[in-house]
This record gives sequence, C-alpha cells and structure tokens, in this order.
Amino acid sequence: MASKETCRQELRTAIRQLSDRCLYSASRWAAEQLVGIEQDPAKYTPSHTRFQRGSSSIRRRFRTDGAGDAAAAFNSTPVAGVSFISTPLASEEENDAVESDFYLLAKSYFDCREYRRAAHVLREQTSKKAVFLRCYALYLAGEKRKEEETMELEGPLGKSDAVNKELISLERELSGLRKCGTIDSFCLFLYGLVLKEKGNEGLARVVLVESVNNYPWNWSAWSELQSLCTTVEILNGLHLVNHWMKDFFLANAYQELRLHNESLAKYEYIQGTFSFSNYVQAQIAKAQYSLREFEQVEVIFEELLRNDPHRVEDMDMYSNVLYAKECFSALSYLAHRVFLTDKYRPESCCIIGNYYSLKGQHEKSVMYFRRALKLNKNYLSAWTLMGHEYVEMKNTPAAVDAYRRAVDINPCDYRAWYGLGQTYEMMGMPFYALHYFKKSVFLQPNDSRLWIAMAQCYKSEELHMPEEAIKCFKRAVNCNDREAIALHQLAKLHRELDRFEEAAFYYKKDLERMEAEEREGPNMVEALSFLARYCKDQKRFEEAEVYCTRLLDYTGPEKEEAKSLLRGIRSARDVELFPP
Amino acid sequence: MAGILKPPGAFTVTPHKVSICILIQVYAPPTQISVPFPFSSVSHHNRLGLFLFALSKSCDGIFEPKLDELIGQLKELGDFLNDWLIDHLTRRLSSLASPDDLFNFFNDLRGILGGSESHVMDDDQIMLDPSSNLGLFVRRCLLSFNLLPFEGVCHLLTNIGAYCKESFSSCPYELSHIEDCANEAESSMEYENMELESLVFDKVSKEFEAQKKANDSFAFHNHAPKAIIGFIEDISSGSKVKEFDRLREGSSCIPSSSYSQRIIDPQVGSFLRTNWQIQGNLLDQADAIERHGSSFSLNAFESILKQLQKLAPELHRVHFLRYLNSLHHDDYPVALENLHRYFDYSAGTEGIDFGPPSSGCNSFGRYEVALLCLGMMHFHFGHPKQALEVLTEAVRVSQQHSDDACLAYTLAAICNLLSEVGISRMTGIIGSACSSVVNMRTSLSIQQQLFVLLRRSLKRAEGLKLKRLVASNHVAMAKFELTHVQRPLSYFGPKGPMKLRTCPINVCKELRLSSRLIHEFCDESSIMNTDGLLCTMWLKNLKKPIGSVIFSQENESRRNLDTFQFCSQPNSLPGSVVQLLGTSALVRATAWEIYGSASLARISTLAFAACFADSSSSADAALAYAKLIQHLAVFKGHKEAFAALKIAEEKFLCVSKSRVHLVKLQLLHERALHRGDLKFAQRICNEFGALASSVSGVDMELKTEASLRHARTLLAANQFNQAAAVTNSLFGMCYKYNMQVENATVLLLLAEIHKRSGNAALGIPYALASLSFCQSFNLDLLKASATLTLADLWLSLGSNHSKRALALLHSAFPMILGHGGLELSARAYITETKCYLADPSFSVSEDPEVVLEPLKRASEALELLEYHELAVEAFYFLAIVYDKLGYLEEREKAAALFKVHIMALENPEEKEDSLSTML
Repeated sequence: MASKETCRQELRTAIRQLSDRCLYSASRWAAEQLVGIEQDPAKYTPSHTRFQRGSSSIRRRFRTDGAGDAAAAFNSTPVAGVSFISTPLASEEENDAVESDFYLLAKSYFDCREYRRAAHVLREQTSKKAVFLRCYALYLAGEKRKEEETMELEGPLGKSDAVNKELISLERELSGLRKCGTIDSFCLFLYGLVLKEKGNEGLARVVLVESVNNYPWNWSAWSELQSLCTTVEILNGLHLVNHWMKDFFLANAYQELRLHNESLAKYEYIQGTFSFSNYVQAQIAKAQYSLREFEQVEVIFEELLRNDPHRVEDMDMYSNVLYAKECFSALSYLAHRVFLTDKYRPESCCIIGNYYSLKGQHEKSVMYFRRALKLNKNYLSAWTLMGHEYVEMKNTPAAVDAYRRAVDINPCDYRAWYGLGQTYEMMGMPFYALHYFKKSVFLQPNDSRLWIAMAQCYKSEELHMPEEAIKCFKRAVNCNDREAIALHQLAKLHRELDRFEEAAFYYKKDLERMEAEEREGPNMVEALSFLARYCKDQKRFEEAEVYCTRLLDYTGPEKEEAKSLLRGIRSARDVELFPP
Repeated sequence: MAGILKPPGAFTVTPHKVSICILIQVYAPPTQISVPFPFSSVSHHNRLGLFLFALSKSCDGIFEPKLDELIGQLKELGDFLNDWLIDHLTRRLSSLASPDDLFNFFNDLRGILGGSESHVMDDDQIMLDPSSNLGLFVRRCLLSFNLLPFEGVCHLLTNIGAYCKESFSSCPYELSHIEDCANEAESSMEYENMELESLVFDKVSKEFEAQKKANDSFAFHNHAPKAIIGFIEDISSGSKVKEFDRLREGSSCIPSSSYSQRIIDPQVGSFLRTNWQIQGNLLDQADAIERHGSSFSLNAFESILKQLQKLAPELHRVHFLRYLNSLHHDDYPVALENLHRYFDYSAGTEGIDFGPPSSGCNSFGRYEVALLCLGMMHFHFGHPKQALEVLTEAVRVSQQHSDDACLAYTLAAICNLLSEVGISRMTGIIGSACSSVVNMRTSLSIQQQLFVLLRRSLKRAEGLKLKRLVASNHVAMAKFELTHVQRPLSYFGPKGPMKLRTCPINVCKELRLSSRLIHEFCDESSIMNTDGLLCTMWLKNLKKPIGSVIFSQENESRRNLDTFQFCSQPNSLPGSVVQLLGTSALVRATAWEIYGSASLARISTLAFAACFADSSSSADAALAYAKLIQHLAVFKGHKEAFAALKIAEEKFLCVSKSRVHLVKLQLLHERALHRGDLKFAQRICNEFGALASSVSGVDMELKTEASLRHARTLLAANQFNQAAAVTNSLFGMCYKYNMQVENATVLLLLAEIHKRSGNAALGIPYALASLSFCQSFNLDLLKASATLTLADLWLSLGSNHSKRALALLHSAFPMILGHGGLELSARAYITETKCYLADPSFSVSEDPEVVLEPLKRASEALELLEYHELAVEAFYFLAIVYDKLGYLEEREKAAALFKVHIMALENPEEKEDSLSTML
C-alpha cells in the first residue's frame, strides 16, 4: 500500500475536486478516509491523537486472533503494491473568468437542489467540468421527477417503475463524447450510471472500469461497479489498475459476494493504513456480523458510537446484535439516539422496530418497519424483519408475502428463504417448506441452524423421512452446531431406527460435548441411561457400571433404573466369572 | 404491501377510455330525435352501440389499443359515416389542450347520463341508462376522473397528447422530419438494449451498430439507419407472426402481430386495460397454453408477461401464467420457482375461482391450493413419489383448514395420479397419510384404494356441487371401470368370493352422467370471462373480411380450417366444459375400442373430432387423430393410414412422446413386421423403449407396448426362446401393476409363440387362459382372435381335430367379420381353408367354392397389407386348390403371385422405400 502521506495528499486533492463537481457522497467518503489515516505519532502530540481516537485498546484486543494473521499474510504479498496513478492533477482548473462565474452560479443552484436551473445555466459551456455538472444535474433532475412520478402513477395494480426521462438524451450525448475521446473520468462515471439504469450492464462495467482506472478516488464509481459484480467470475474478469483504492473495492465486493473471510482479511489489511476510519471499522463489523461473531461486533459498534455519536448508517446491524443479545436498555438508548439524529432514515425506523419487537409489541414494530419500507421499498432487512414480526403475530400470509418480497429483491438472502421455510413448516406443510430450506442451505451451507431446520422438517411426523433427516443432522454437526441439537437428535434417530451402534457413538459424542461445556439436563440423563444399557447388552460391564454410577447422581425414575441395572450387571458378571 | 389486497376492480382514466367516452357521446347525444344526427338508421346506431360495448369488455391483449388501432377498428365497422366519426374523434381529442378542457369534457359527459327515478323521462330523448353497461362505464370514468389529483389530470393530458401524436406521426403523409429524427434516435437506443434471439439478428445489428456509430457524428438527416431498423423490425416481427400463425392457425394473427409490435415499441404510451380485462385475457391465455401445449410460443408470451409484471407489480397472476407457460414447455426449475412465487404472494386467494369464495376463504390463506398445484406439477414432470407426498400433505392441510372444495380436487388429483402411474406397493405412502379419508386398512391393494378414493371424491364433489369436478370424476370412474376388475366393496380381502368381471354397463352409466354437465354448467361458470371472450370474438370477426383475402392465397386445407373455426366461434359454453365433454367422448371411444366394436369406436372418435376438437387440449385432439389413423391402418391398409398420418403431422407438433409420434412408430412397426423387414422393426422397438421414462411405475402404457412389440419382433424372427422370455417378464410386470386387460393380450401372445414354435399342446392352456380373461373383461374382439388362435392350435395337433377347430372358428366368425380388421379376417379365412383341407371327409372337387372364396378374400386383404408371410400361404393354398381342380391358368397366376411374395419376404430390404426414412 502506498505510504500514508501520499494517500493523504491524494485524498486532499480528490476531496476538493469531488466536491467541486458536486459529487458529495464520494467526497464525504474520501474525507472520512482522510481523517481515518493514522497520524505519525512522532509529529503530533499525544493529545492530538487522542482527539482522533478514543480508546483503541479494545480494538487491538480483538485484532490478535485469526484475522490478524490473515492480514499479516496479506502484507507479504504485493497485491496493490505500487500505484500507477500519481496524485490527481490540480492544474486543470479553467482560467476563463466568465466561464467559471457561470459554473459558480450553476453550482449554487445545484446546491439548492434546483437541478434544471443549474443545467440551463451551463447549456453553452464546453469545459469538461461544466459538461459533467450539466449532465449530472440533468440526471438528478430526471431522478427526482422519476420519484415523484412513481408516486403519482400508482395504479390499481401497484406502482410501476417510472423511468428517468433524461437517460436517453444523456446516453446519446455521453456516448458521443466517449467516441470522440473528449470524455473525462467523471463523465465516464455518469455514463456508467446511465447505462446501468438502462440495463446495459456489460457496457456499464466497461465504462466504470475505465472511469476508476483513470480516477480511482471516486468511491461512488467503485460502488456502482461493485453492484454490477454479481458473481466472482465477473469480479475476477475486471481489468483494474493497481491502486490502494482497489483494496477498498475488493473488500466491499467480497463482502457482497458472501466471501466474508476474504473480505475480513482485506479490511484488516486496509486498517494498517486507515486505522481510524469509521468506515473500515463498520465494514469489519459487518463481516463479523455475517460470521456471527456478535461479541466483537458489539465492541466495535460501541467504539464507533463513542467516536461518532450521530452516526445512523449501519446502526440497524448493531440493533440486530443488541436484539439477539436481548439488551433492552442498550437498544432503547440506541433507538432514542438515532431518533433524535434523524427519524426519517430507514435505519432509524428499523432500530425502533427492533426495539418494539424485543418488547413484544409486534403491531408497533410492524408499523415502524412499514415506515422504513416506505422510505426505501428495497430495504432488504426491513422486509425480512417484518416477516419475523408477522410470524410472531401469527399472520402467516403477510409473513410469507414479506419474506417473498425480500427474496425477490435479493435472491441470495438466506434469512428470508429460511423464514419462508419456517412459516410453511408452522402451517403444517413440511414438504412444501423443504423447497425453501433447500434454497437457504444452498446459499449458506455452513450454517448449522439451517441444516437443523431442514432435518426437523424431514423428521416431522407428517413426512417421517428419518434417513434424510440423519443426513441433514450430520451436516449440521460438521458445521459447528453451537446449540448441540444435532448430536442429540442423531443419537435419538439412530436409536429409533434400531441402529444401536451408531446411536451409542452419537450419545457418547454428545456426552463428551456436554461435559466439555458443563451442561446438565434431561439430555444428559437420556444419554447416560442409553449408554449404560447399551454397554450392558454389549457385555462391556465396566463401562456400563461407570454410566450407571453417574446416573445415580440424578433423581427420578432413571435412578431406580440405574440401580436395577447395576444389580443386573453384577449378577451377569457373577455368571461370567463363575459359570454354573 | 403485505397482507393487503387491492380491490380488484380499480379503474383509471386513460386516453383510450377518453376516446370511448367521446364515441359514447356521439352514440347518445342529449337530443330529442329518435335517430340522432350522424346516423342514417336505427341499425347503424345500434351497431355503434354494440361496438362500444365490445370495446369496453373485450380482453385480447393486455394493452389498450392505440388511436390508430381504434381508427382501424372503426373503419372496419363498415359504414359510410365512419369517416365522420374518425374525424370527430380526432378533432375532439386534439381539442383537449389544457386541464380545463378535460374538466369541461367530463362535465359534458355527465349530461348524457339519464337521471334517477325522480326525473321525468321524456320518451323521445335518448338517455343513457346509468345502470346499463355503457352507463356504468361512463360513470366509472367520471368517478375516477373526479378522484384524480391535479398531477393526475396533467398526466392524462400529456398522455392524450402522446396518444394523438403517435397516431398522426404513423400516418405516412404527415411525416415530420424533426420528430422523425427524435424517434429514430430513441428507437435506436431502445433497440440496442434488446436481446435478440438469433444470430442473424445479431449480425445485422452489428452492421447497424457500425452504421449508427458512423452516423451519429454526422448530420441528423441521414435516413440509412432508419431503413435498417425497419428491416430488422420486419424480420423479428415477421418471425414472431409466423410463430403465432402456426399456433393459432392463422385465425388470430392480427392481435399477434400487434403483440410483436408492442414488444418492439417502447412501453411509453401504452396503457394497461382494466384489471378485469387483463384477468380475462390471462385466463384466456391460460386456456390457450393448455390447449396448445408445447406448441405455444414460449418466448413471445414470456416477454408479454414480463412487461405486464413491470407495469403491474401487484398482479400476481402473472407468476401463475409464467408457471403454466414453463410447465408446458417442460422447464422444471422455472416452473417450480414461479409456482412458489405465485402462492407466496397471493396466498392462493387471488384468481383461483373454485367454488364460492366464502366456503374456503379464511384469514390463513389457502396454501393447500399451492400444494395441490405443486402435486400436479410433479405429476406432470413424472415424479410420482413427490407428487404423492405433496398431495397427501394437501389432503392434510385442507382437512385442517376444512377447505372442502380443495380436498375434493386433491382427492381427484390423487385418483388421477394413481390411475396413471403404476405404483406397485403403496403401504405406508397413502395409507398412513390418508387414513382419515380412506379409513381403510393399509393392506388394500392400490386398485381398491383408488376405487375407494374415487368414490369419496365423487361424493364430496356432489355434496359441494362442484359440477365440473363431478363430471370429471365420472369420467375417471368410467376409465377405472373400463380396465379394472370390479369387486363388491364388502368382500375385500383375499378370501372373499371373487367375481372377476368388468361392467360395461357401469362405464356407460358413468359416461352418461359425466355428459350431463352440459345442462348444468351455468351455475358454476364465471360469466364475466365468457362475456369478455364473446366481445373479443365480436371485434375479431369485424376483421374477418380483410383476413380472408390474405388467407385465400394459402392452401386449401388452411382455409377449410378457418371456416371451421369461424363457424364454431360464437359459442357461449365455457372452454373447460367443452373440454370435459370432449374427454368423455374420447373415453367412450376407448371403451368401444376395448370392448371390440370398431365401428362404434370410430363413430365416437369422429363425434369428438367434429364437436370438440377445436376447444379440447392438443393432447386430446392428437389422441383422436391417432385413433382414427389406427382404424384406417387396420381396415384400409397402410397406404391410407400413412396418408392420414401426414395430415396429422402437419396439424400437431410431432415431438417425442406425442400421440402422433407414437402412432407413426406403431404404423411403421406393423408395416415392417408385415413386410418381414425385421431389422427395421427392431430399430423401431428400441425407439419405443427409449421413449418411456426410466422411473419405475411411470409411462406404464408405453413400456407395455414396447415390450409387447419387442416380443412380436422376436417371434417374427423365430427367436422363440427370447420372445417367450420377454413375454414372460412382461406378464410379471403387468401382474405386479395390476394391468389385467393387458394380461389377456400377453397370454394370447404366449399362446402364439408356442404355436409358432411347434408346441401346440403347450399353447392351448395359454390360449384358454386368455380366452377366459377376455370373457370376464368383456373384450369381445380379443376373444374372437383368441378363439382363432385356439382353433389354429387344435388344428396343428392333427387333422382329427379339424372338426373341433372349424366349430370354434365358426363361433368366432361373426365377431371377426363384423369388427375385425383386414389381418384378422385374412388369418381366419386361411385357418378355415386349412380346416377344410385337413378334413379327410372333405373333397375339393365337390365343393370348390367353400375354400376358393375365403382364400381369394384373404389374398386380397393381405395384398393390401403387404403381409408377405401370410400372403405366401394364401397363394400356396390357392395354387394347390386350382391344381386339384385343373384350372391351369389360374394356378399359374397364383403361383406367380406366390413367387412375388416369397421373393419379397426373402429380401425385405430390397424394396426399400421412403417410409423407412420417416424416422
């Protein structure tokens, strides 16, 4: 990776250029990263660094394990070693005073969200900057109109997607510019955007790659490119010039392609330079969340909130973690905070919805999820969470509908597939549910919960396909089944099928596991009593005796059984020792 | 949004509706003359009214027609004042220039509606009855206009502008250059994004790309790319039209061409019809998919569905249609996905109208319907196990939710599954899950279970007054009774007194009951759809005169077909009812076929072809054709049958496993066997075997036929051991799957094998067994041929048995001559001659005609069939008899023919002809 100082220089120039072109979200992103670069401790006073970061000790604590090694491994390989693009050129600013006056006016209009006026002011200008701003303004004007039209045109059969009316003329102009070779990378970005919206994804990818290769600091272009990389093959087929921005892109793309470990490694590596970047931290949290490392996610978010108390982005994930851990007060605190910051963000609504759900007030919770969806109808997790709420409310058709919408927005959302399966299973349609479980398991083959759910379906009274259930439970055991349901079930199923050898094997394993985790309960008793009897039948009396004596620690009928078993063992032994 | 269903009838004002309103204003002006101004007579006036009514109801296509299409339809109305109407319409439309004009227009519109009862009605004044169809239409337009916000009015205005402009710009004389350039650029942009289906298009489009690139940087007035666009559009629309043409036999290519244009057109400016009309159209399309099966165009319809989904995301029925479409094109994953999607969204409550909705509708949705559909899908794809699993789940869920209608349908589906698919052991599959329904011990055989299920389903359907289901259950029952042994229910179990008989009377009764449906359907049918269909037909018929000019250039058969369809069009029976009646007619034909009455079978099939062919599914129609062709082959020889087959092949898509393909294979096999071309026969046998699915229990009919034909081929090749082995294993299979009727045939074949191998004594028990099977199953024709074989067998035991053989033969003669085909009667004649000749008390010279007559008839029939082996025998006997009688000339003739046939028999491949290349 390039040195911190070059990164800093590049970003500083880039922020200026980006905000000059009104690409605000890209410049915001760049600014975040700029501040996120670790200051050289030699140059700055400790107080300065403390201002930058509160306590990094917690973070360091978690960086020592596994992922850290991966990052170290990454450092040794020259992935994005040398960047081939120098600092963004600062000299291209036009000097024509009149022209720049017009530009200033247009930019002010733009800043006041009067896009058409801005475009009109620039109608005669020919400088690249002006052309870009004009096109961009037109594009945004079209987008704004599109949103409005979608609301206006809502027919009896639902909203039909309105089209951005400017796309056609924009595409014509930009493709002309590209052919003449007078297009700059910002216009290329816009061209890619237009192409993507028109559904021409192949060309859009080519154009966006061209754009980011020329000007890598535009994060918006990278994220558009990422959204077009739907498979690993496409991602690997891109011809990207090496630059440190590429690492950000790859990490993000890996995450979206559900290669969580790779993504995590990449982010850890990036963190070497951008150690104080909130963005990187949030992304790491996201990856950890997908890997179901809730503890770490919580720690990261706590720190993030300390440094950036008015952050709303990604906070819905934090609320999910708090929900899973049933932290009532923390969740309510978070909800209150985001509510004060910006109550009309889908994330905020989602957090509040989560809070109500935890409180068991499902109607209210649904209301907030609905609000989130009104703000962004493609908000995936809100659909899924709403489905969960409907399941709680026993409104199965609505739940199915909500889950199905989530799945249609993103067919890779294994949670929604799982939810669908669960709902159908609840309705007593296990065979029908299997279709959905199969889908979810296909997407997330390493999640033991999914395998267990599928196995339960096979095991159910209605279907009763124990062989298939056994196969699924076995997969679950291989996937590190945390709740240890699978082992017990496997043992039980084998016992029901009269395969005592296998049953004994799994009971033993289960027993070992329970001992290791210091758990007690009916499962323990069941395992012990089975093993005792099994060993006795196999004439392994010593082993049987051990199990029996352990059983004596418990109260209930098993105790009596153990006693009689012990007696039986002794007499059997006597017979063996002194044959009559 | 989840859980909330929109009211189905929502209605929006569109430019097309405004046009209709303008025309209604013309139709019913607030004047006081009995025939208002532009009309010359009452009938003119009425015709416009009918036209408007049809416009407001018709459901062809999902989009509303554009202005030029409407103008075209107006022109076809065929009146001289159409020019005035068109002029008026366009003038009124283009005069709507500001929102205020629209407000005024709708205000005026209110004036044509008649007032409520309190108003004093003037006799002369024309008033639109507010509760009439047109009145309702106007009122709905008014209401929805009043509900529009100002933005909505603005949208309507711009849309009307676009609606008019589009139609004007399409007129050749009003071509304005500036607009044209804009359009050109737009369409080229649109064009770039289209996925083209064939390579040719790709190539052309590349050329076009290059041209365009070159062109873009130059002046706008170059028209070269436009020409290319036109060319490409021609190709693509042309090919699509052709596809549709084939499928609809040309009768409806007019809407299809408008479809294909719409596919190319940008979707801007096209408006969906009302929900009601779209649903009607989708229902119609669903019928068409089912009727045409795999010959329905997959992609064209798919793209329409895609558009529809984009424009109406909440119309979930689209997913169902997509499911149907992929189901009939055998695309399993897509069908599965769409089926699940449809039911996830609609909870089984949208669009499926079985029974009164109040009976089964509850807040939990009707997911049991989903299970039912899924089960039928698995059945369609040949997964009997999954199908049964899903259907039992459907039974359980519908019991839970007490959805009786669905339960009745599910039971019917299970019956269908069980009767079509052979499942040898069923203990545990259905027994456990359906125990509450069946309430029987699991030890029952599958046939018995099926019978019980059929009865339950029938009773349930009758109780719920599901008329169609009752009828189809009767048909299923008839099918069951046709091939299965009837036993009294109370004597289940192996020890009960067996009364192995089929009951033709029961079959007849069931069929009669099923066709009673035609009197009763009206209670159940959805009248809304028939209405819409009739209107669509009416509008289409407007175009007929123009259409027939085009068609007259095409060949004769096509035109005949058209007129045929034209005659049967104004039919107010719902398609499904007609289809069911057709099926029952076909079952009747099959019944006669099995019972051995060739002429009645033929008449029933012909009745089907005449009355129900155009509205039944393509599978049924193909079956009828197959039956007729087989009949021809048996009675008229191969030449005529192949001629008929050619016609059938033109009509139906000859894909593998289709009926027509099977018949072709059958004909080729028979012919090869007759001509002694055994290699070819074996090849066809292999082909047969390959058609059947490898899953055990599926395609039983096909599998039986394949091994039956295999055995016969082996027999013809004198491989007796192998033939016997194949037949024995076939017997085992038939026994396992309880196919008793087939067993009669198999036994007869075994007897034949023994006869040919010279073990007549061994053959007799088989022949007797077959005879007794035939007797108890009422298989009269088969019985006659078994008797014939038995006579043959006796005869080959020695000449002292010839009297007995002759007596047997004469007992079977009435049946053979009345209903048997050429081959059977020829064989009977030869055997008769042999009997006479073997009889020592018989002298040829005394009574030569007794042997000469049958021999002559036999030889005629065998020449028609090209059955060399038997023909050799016949001519041999003929020559000997002539020799005995001293007729030398005739003897030489017979001997010469004998030589011809024996040569042909020895060199089967020599006289190779075009038929063997038909494979």
